[in-house]
Amino acid sequence: MSQAHSNLHRSAWADWWEGTRRTDIWWTLAWFDIVLRYRRSMLGPFWLTLSMGLMIGGMGPLYASLFGTELSKFFPFLALGIIFWTFFSSMVSDSCNAFIASANYLKQGYFPISLFVWRSMSRNLIQFGHQIVLYIPVAIWAGISLKSSALLVIPAFLLLLINAHALGLLLGLICTRFRDVAQIVTSVMQMAMFLTPVFWLPESLPGRAKYILWNPMAQMLELLRAPLMGNVAPMFNWYGILGWTAFCVVAAALLFAKYRRRVVYWL
Amino acid sequence: MASISLKNVSVNFPIYGAGANSFKKTLAASVTGGRFGKETGVAVVQALSCISLELKSGDRLGLIGHNGAGKSTLLRTLAGIYEPSSGEFSRVGSVASLIDPSLGIEADATGLENIMLRGLVMGLSKKDVDKLLPDISEFSGLGDYLAMPVRTYSTGMMMRLAFSISTSVKADILLMDEWLSVGDAEFTEKAERRMKDMVEGSGILILASHSPDLIAKECNRVVRLEHGRLIED
Repeated sequence: MSQAHSNLHRSAWADWWEGTRRTDIWWTLAWFDIVLRYRRSMLGPFWLTLSMGLMIGGMGPLYASLFGTELSKFFPFLALGIIFWTFFSSMVSDSCNAFIASANYLKQGYFPISLFVWRSMSRNLIQFGHQIVLYIPVAIWAGISLKSSALLVIPAFLLLLINAHALGLLLGLICTRFRDVAQIVTSVMQMAMFLTPVFWLPESLPGRAKYILWNPMAQMLELLRAPLMGNVAPMFNWYGILGWTAFCVVAAALLFAKYRRRVVYWL
Repeated sequence: MASISLKNVSVNFPIYGAGANSFKKTLAASVTGGRFGKETGVAVVQALSCISLELKSGDRLGLIGHNGAGKSTLLRTLAGIYEPSSGEFSRVGSVASLIDPSLGIEADATGLENIMLRGLVMGLSKKDVDKLLPDISEFSGLGDYLAMPVRTYSTGMMMRLAFSISTSVKADILLMDEWLSVGDAEFTEKAERRMKDMVEGSGILILASHSPDLIAKECNRVVRLEHGRLIED
């Protein structure tokens, strides 16, 4: 069979940029995702804030007494842990469905698929925005003083977004083709939650177990959490995350370049 | 000037059933050196095979064929949704695709919100949509219903909305999959007029339909699809 040629064909880079450029489309789609989900509820997306607040408020005192740590030290740690973890895990699980959930658009016209990864990312960002505000009263109550090192949270967050986009493309493509990968991802994320210092303090790890702090989720969490608590994350976290990001970006770029136009066939 | 050219275009669909789709089988196949691989061999449906077609401005093509003959797949390929598995495809001109009007309509959003969403998705900016809004709402004839969620609409009303939005922008190529028949007589007439306006200039219309009357009325060229092959009438 002859090779397919089409004058609609764009390079992978142009395709990616085309989807990225249309901020208004993906932002509006994400906004509507949220608006429509909560349209008929009175509190709307503030349910996210409320239920997160209840969870943190309930778990904080319990875990502080379990670990025998001072509440004012443990509470901000736990709050950031849970809020960021929720953000990570919902971003990852939404990535698996990024294209499947947008099938109604993809089957209707030609769309660059990066658009739908941005859509699911911004939907999660909006949710995250409703939850991270809870940290403000917690930090004030715990008397956390921020140093200039708190600005390190900005590059850390950028790295998180790059990772989220790359993983979104990667998992989105793989999960559309292999439908059970989404299940695998869910259980891996569940396990990762316990291997990541979300609820427990890394100091309480015995020496030999410290290597689990090398998991990318733990490193990302540390990079985001430390600056917001007035600490500085150890350097090894930056190296680890930079390596991980490079790996994800390359893998995503390869799969995207090869399969971006095949996705519609898999839906 | 709009034009479409297809040379030996084929579109093959891999059909991943519950079995072949799974990671387990693929993994099993790779672990066992491909012995299970034969069983996982994915069924491929050739939806279009070696289609060659040239269309130029002013062509109004009717597509006929029984169910599953490949009409919709051909329309989708022309819209750029499916990249052909082989062959050459080139297209000049903007496309308005009215392939499945209910796709991309958010049932919980209001009519007005759907106009905005669909307009953006069609590539318009928010400003453009705002400018077109009065036209679209007038043409749809839905009046106050536009402020209601679309899930309260009847099928006919939804079609009106979708048609009004999709045809609000002048496109060079109009792809339609049998659905003028849904509206009531008055709307059908309006829609036909708009369709003619769109195509009259220098456009191309491609209309898939089971109704010989409609095809005879709207089209100046007819092709029949049979099992994914093109049979010129």
